Amino acid sequence: MYLEAALNIATMVSILLLVALGLAIVFGLMNILNMAHGELVTIGAFTASLVQVHSGSFWLGVVAAIIVGALVGWVLERGLIRYLYDRPMGVILATWGVSLIIQQGLLLLFGPSPQIVYTPIEGSITLFGNPYPRYRLVLIAAAVLTIAATAIVMNRTRFGLDLRTVIQNREVAELVGIDSRRIFMFALVGASALAALAGALVAPLIKVVPTMGADYLAPSFFVVIVGGAGSLMGVVAGSAFIGGLRTLLDYQVPTTLSQALVLIAAVVIVRFRPRGLLPA
Amino acid sequence: MTLQASSSSVKATTQNKGGLASISLSAGLMAAVLAYPLLLSSYQMDVARDALIFALLALSLDFLWGKAGVLSFGQAAFFGMGAYAVAIVGPMVPNDNGALAGMVTGIGLAVLVSGIVGYFLIYGGVRGAYLTIVTLALTLIARNVATSWASVTGGEAGLIGAPPPGLSIGGWSVTASDSVSLYLVVAIVLSVTLTALWAASRGRLGRVLTAIQDDEAKARALGYDTSGYLLAVFVLSSGLAAIAGGLYASAAGYVAPDLVGLLLSTQAIVHVAFGGRGTLIGPVLATVLVIHVQQEVSSFSYALWPLLLGAFFIAMVFLFPKGLLPLISDLVHRLVPRRDRGGTA
Repeated sequence: MYLEAALNIATMVSILLLVALGLAIVFGLMNILNMAHGELVTIGAFTASLVQVHSGSFWLGVVAAIIVGALVGWVLERGLIRYLYDRPMGVILATWGVSLIIQQGLLLLFGPSPQIVYTPIEGSITLFGNPYPRYRLVLIAAAVLTIAATAIVMNRTRFGLDLRTVIQNREVAELVGIDSRRIFMFALVGASALAALAGALVAPLIKVVPTMGADYLAPSFFVVIVGGAGSLMGVVAGSAFIGGLRTLLDYQVPTTLSQALVLIAAVVIVRFRPRGLLPA
Repeated sequence: MTLQASSSSVKATTQNKGGLASISLSAGLMAAVLAYPLLLSSYQMDVARDALIFALLALSLDFLWGKAGVLSFGQAAFFGMGAYAVAIVGPMVPNDNGALAGMVTGIGLAVLVSGIVGYFLIYGGVRGAYLTIVTLALTLIARNVATSWASVTGGEAGLIGAPPPGLSIGGWSVTASDSVSLYLVVAIVLSVTLTALWAASRGRLGRVLTAIQDDEAKARALGYDTSGYLLAVFVLSSGLAAIAGGLYASAAGYVAPDLVGLLLSTQAIVHVAFGGRGTLIGPVLATVLVIHVQQEVSSFSYALWPLLLGAFFIAMVFLFPKGLLPLISDLVHRLVPRRDRGGTA
């Protein structure tokens, strides 16, 4: 029972981490909120489903989802967001429009019924006498690896150094010759790829429908609000808090109530730590 | 009507943007928009009534977004609180006071929720995008409550039996149950609200809010409790949204969870952006216009509307950030130079 709860929390936190990480970095960089971020999760899940149905391989679908996600992020940045860097409200409205178009477009193309996704790894594994689905363990491992890779990129590479410099102080970063817009473009592409990856990984566990993105948008924003924008540790703390609380509450009370309680908890935390638990 | 009467009394003090001419023009236009449906069939009048209710919702958002700079996706949540309160509490109350009791309950609930959430966030220093996201979450949760708390809200099916607006004191009672009187009730509430918000915005409150939008730190340094002002506007706007919701349920006689969704909040944002945020009357006129167009488009293709909405958001940000109606009025002013105009809109 406790082990199962812990593993369920780990699954939820892994997904949230993947979705919120990009959002937090993008927000920390430019104070820009991409309202179509949830649709990138949707696109990832749809890509995984389509590729799996046609090629038979789920993992090929995951790779395809990452590529498609990165591509969509790139188009979004080049075509839209780069013109709106100094208008955060404009970004919210324009990307909200994109989100509506993607949702409705997918609905027109694929209809409202869930897409088919087969679990790539069947069966369960017994841990300390408790059976647990193998795939979920793989999902947790994949998320941990991705986060570790992102941490390495952020802390050990030239790009990561530039990225952290822009997050800390954009003007100074520009003064020392960092092209903050270029950094931002790569960050948005990376964030979109991560969101699509999350969508692909979670696809076998949920209903893959055009409106699924909305389920991830608000929680991942809460992760950023609670954890703090622009810091990896903040996202980890925020995801652990939001994901953990949600999963634990889901055992005790109806989903609706647990959502509301998480919102209340997040709101109260913001009152006392306005910049998040672990800000950049 | 109501609007004309009050606008003439404030005329003497006008000096802000828009002179006498543009105020009487707005008032006249508004009166025409309000009076025109009275000539139509009762079905078309019902449609026009719903448009005015959504105009009230847009107005509540414009006061928050246009005047105080807080973009909110939460209007649908508060609209839903008003609507469901009338549908749930209304039938329990005897005589003809059901709608009123439900309305008061709904407003109370909206004020309570927005007050608590707003207090923690606004006094916590949360501004801009963060605030927007929390309001978005409010709507998502409200929608979930409406669909999953079936024993109270009727679930997906919703509730029927919301009482029509009425009042009963002692032996005397009045109910608005036919199309014309329902329309008039809604039109009167809308005009009174519009006039009140417009008058409030012209005074000290409006100027403080403008200062906060321009530079909150400076406004605070000048001694204004900026958080207090923002919280008050947030709570007021939520209460107004609840009134719109209550009117909707009361006039339609039913509520359904579709009312509470993000789409409703999105449409309110479109109406405000289209009409020009901060102009108050613009969003009202825009709502009437957009809902008319929406019906035409939906009768042609139901799936097309959300796509158009999405495209509209993008076009708006790039092409007419101040709104479409202000753009048109700007063009008209430029093409038709008028000596008597006080300033450009």
